Amino acid sequence: MRCPIETGESTELFLAYGARKLGAEGTVAFERHLKVCPACSELAALQRAVWDALDVWEIGPVAAAEFDRRLFQRMEKEGSWWDRVIRPFRPLWVRPLLVRQGLPAAAAAGLLIFGAVWLQRPAGLPQTPVSTQVNVVAPDQADHTLEEMELMREFNGVVQAAEPKL
Amino acid sequence: MPERVKSDVGTVVAALDYDAELMLRVKEGDGASFGVLLEKYRSPVVHFLYRMIQNGPVAEELAQEVFLRVYRSRSTYEPTAKFTTWLFRIATHLALNALRDGKNEKGQERLDDDSSDLPVRQVPDSRPSVEQDMVYQARLEEVRRAVATLPEKQRAAVLMHKYEEMEYSQIAKVLSCSESAVKSLLFRAYETLRARLAHMA
Repeated sequence: MRCPIETGESTELFLAYGARKLGAEGTVAFERHLKVCPACSELAALQRAVWDALDVWEIGPVAAAEFDRRLFQRMEKEGSWWDRVIRPFRPLWVRPLLVRQGLPAAAAAGLLIFGAVWLQRPAGLPQTPVSTQVNVVAPDQADHTLEEMELMREFNGVVQAAEPKL
Repeated sequence: MPERVKSDVGTVVAALDYDAELMLRVKEGDGASFGVLLEKYRSPVVHFLYRMIQNGPVAEELAQEVFLRVYRSRSTYEPTAKFTTWLFRIATHLALNALRDGKNEKGQERLDDDSSDLPVRQVPDSRPSVEQDMVYQARLEEVRRAVATLPEKQRAAVLMHKYEEMEYSQIAKVLSCSESAVKSLLFRAYETLRARLAHMA
């Protein structure tokens, strides 16, 4: 094994060794190196000493019941605050069942009223103004009408000529 | 089809991180899952914040804020990382802000007054002698002071590495830096601690 201090791989290796997380094989190889390298040996011993010293700082259990009571109280308080903010808008979305059933019902009622009004409207009213009718007469239709009028005039002339004079 | 996809995602998340799965249930309105997460992480979060801030009441207050933020963010939660990464990211953010705002100053002044702090776990011997107790308290005080002298980010990195047993990659995500930056932070932090605490061996 090459000296980790020289290769620059020391951090991870020394931290893992200090925390006893190097694994059996890694530990054996590293300790073999420690026996022949005073610098690494000293650093490894110091790191392990620090690791063990930090173990002293153990903290007792948290008062869970009190902690949770306060937390849930805050959550509830926050909830009610939020409730107050959204209260004016509540009827629009907080009652989804009503919205889900009410909207189709309102739409159906609206459709029925519209249908009833349509059927009850006065029959005598012109559907469209005359000017509109003129506008919709096609040009060829006008030609046909003029031709028919011409034919009628000719026919009348023929009839009048054929009639015996009284 | 979409349900199949959802189910597959759920399976992947569960395999990756059961806590993330619990949080997804919280997102769907399952309050009991929030209770499970709270039970599991209440102590780690309070302890981490206490070691960061070194003030019991402030640490508990910040821990409350952490869980409150987790609950508030439930509707937008996406399991893009481990749940603990997200949780400790919130905790670290709050701790660093509190340190910058000087919220811990009161605690620093009362560092010797254990009555205002969280209880410290007692030494294994149920009836330690006065001398043993004094030695223990002196060692504890030395450790506390040594940790308190570390720069904030180094402190957070050491606490997550030592007490929460987090991997470098996870610490990197919490601190929003690279893994190599975390190793560098840890190297410098332990170097300082070695200088201050090595005599305790």
